Amino acid sequence: MTALTWGRRFLMCPPEHFGVLYEINPWMHREVDVDLDRARAQWGELVATLVDAGATVDLLEPQPGLPDLVFTANAGTVNHGRYVASRFRHPNRQPEVDHDVAWFAGHGFEVVDLPEGTGHEGAGDALPFRGVFLSGYRSRSDAGAHGPLSALLGAPVRPIELVDPRLYHLDLTFCPLDDRRALVAPGAWDSYGRKVVEALVPEPFALETDEMLAFCANSVVVGHTVVMPVCPPRVGRQLEAWGFDVVVVTVDEFLKAGGGCRCLTLALDVAIPGAAGPPPSMGNGAAR
Amino acid sequence: MSASEVVEVEGHIIDSLILAKVLDVIVDAGADYRMFDVQIGHTNTDASRARIEVTAADDGTLAALVAELQIHGANRVAQVDAATAPAEVDGVLPAGFYATTNLPTQVRVGGHWVDVDNPEMDCSLVVLPDGRARTVPMHRVRAGDPVVVGRDGVRVQPLDRPRGASPFEFMSSDVSSEKPKEQLVARVAERIRAAKAAGGRVLVVCGPAVIHTGAGPAVADLVRAGVIDVLFAGNGFATHDIESNVLGTSLGVPLGDGQPPEGGHSNHLRVINEVRRRGSIAAAVADGYITGGVMFECVGHQVPFVLGGSVRDDGPLPDVFTDVVAAADAMRAELPGVTVALMLASTLHAIATGNVLPAGVETYCVDINQAVVTKLADRGSHQALGIVTDVGLFLHMLAQHLV
Repeated sequence: MTALTWGRRFLMCPPEHFGVLYEINPWMHREVDVDLDRARAQWGELVATLVDAGATVDLLEPQPGLPDLVFTANAGTVNHGRYVASRFRHPNRQPEVDHDVAWFAGHGFEVVDLPEGTGHEGAGDALPFRGVFLSGYRSRSDAGAHGPLSALLGAPVRPIELVDPRLYHLDLTFCPLDDRRALVAPGAWDSYGRKVVEALVPEPFALETDEMLAFCANSVVVGHTVVMPVCPPRVGRQLEAWGFDVVVVTVDEFLKAGGGCRCLTLALDVAIPGAAGPPPSMGNGAAR
Repeated sequence: MSASEVVEVEGHIIDSLILAKVLDVIVDAGADYRMFDVQIGHTNTDASRARIEVTAADDGTLAALVAELQIHGANRVAQVDAATAPAEVDGVLPAGFYATTNLPTQVRVGGHWVDVDNPEMDCSLVVLPDGRARTVPMHRVRAGDPVVVGRDGVRVQPLDRPRGASPFEFMSSDVSSEKPKEQLVARVAERIRAAKAAGGRVLVVCGPAVIHTGAGPAVADLVRAGVIDVLFAGNGFATHDIESNVLGTSLGVPLGDGQPPEGGHSNHLRVINEVRRRGSIAAAVADGYITGGVMFECVGHQVPFVLGGSVRDDGPLPDVFTDVVAAADAMRAELPGVTVALMLASTLHAIATGNVLPAGVETYCVDINQAVVTKLADRGSHQALGIVTDVGLFLHMLAQHLV
């Protein structure tokens, strides 16, 4: 196996203004209080763990009134130093974009925009694997965004329909581990999406319902280290059998807003060469 | 009333199975689709694009379906009225004119899709002052006529896949000599009866071989019995029909014993000359010169016929159109109401007829030569069902069924 070519440099945003101030996914409940000190400590431990594993972390300045800015995975999609700004579905998160764009523009990235009217929530819904971006749609991103996104990223984008509103972003259902393996949550995709992933991932590890709902797939991979919000024994045994070091970082304060380890990070070093993996077979009546 | 919209889906729609999914969603909703403007990327990094016309039973079903398709990235394409440009001079179309097919066609005028009155291939579309649209052959366009240009705002409907007791069903290959003829003839007879019961008209297009093979009396019987409503042919067919009635020969060969008499080669010329002397076939019938045969029955039963001329015609008979453009126009004038066409041992007249027939007309092409049948289809008359057999045998059997 060959380790992922990306995942050594991340953008993160300290949780100074984090909280559950609105409800835009089934996990968010405004009556649940966030323990900010605890959130700060958990976030700090995540940073330390990533750095220990060999990654560097860039910081985005937190902004009052933008509690979800902490989930930098949704800031946009990056490939080869080009940054495609997100277009958020919910108005609560739309003001984040100006701050994201300012950071990327100030750090040497080429900033590009999706056409107006095409919603896409960044790396939260677009993860690279074997030369292709898989892109979740329906809950937050539009299926129609994948064409323009592909053109802007210079890489193929294959949209996958997310059918479980609890798993509203792709990064809650899919975690690339190396060049052949990934944690996958087929239960969160429609039958077409399952076929697409099946054709793309040579060695998938399929998560059970409770495992995917525990945000198992929302993990960050740095070389051979998998940083997970939770690691059920069955998943841990498989990852260790494959030679990964598993580190669990408790981020339960952030789970209150529906985000785990991956949501708190955005890989800045993605550089997909533009060669796609094999397309799925067109069986079961899908062929025309 | 069915309703339709055009949606467009693009990106990596093949590898992501999005296209397959969109089509499945359409079919699952009980709607139908037609794909056009499909561009498939050459490599798996190239994007692909497809425009899909979605047709549902009613507006409500369509609206719900289009909303669902949008979720999967298939967006409604704004539809525009057909663009028109005025013909600058008589008989010349504006550049970029829309060239028609023989399929049912609709044109979007003033925000509404209107049916084209008379589908015909290789013509232009002219929008009439009252908002209707009709096909107009090139030579009949007049300066100032608003002619549809470009493809926007025009759509054609593929013919329904035949269902039920259609003869197309028992013919899996379109043209074959390997079919049981008895059964074929019986089914064609059944279709003709059904067409007539539904008020349709039956057109036959006859080549001279109909007379040479001795099938003239069978065709005459069909005319007399009211089965045939209109006849297209050339100088040869009509001449040999009259020759066989007046002199008992076809191109000089007696239909009885087949022994050519001396000077028989000029028989047809003498017949043509006598008809010309009388001014028309009808006049020759009235005068008692022609006393039987196909043309005689047509005159007697007021079955209209169009005889189209060609450059090698002898005579020709006075009824023959020597102006091919006028001949085609005369044929067009006889088409309204025609729902079944029989092309009988005729190559040139069958193709000429195929050119002016809408695709919805059930067409049977009977010829001993498979190439004739294939040729007709290759010229765009895809609806033609070929029956490879001797036309004489075919007509005798058909007359037995219908007379």
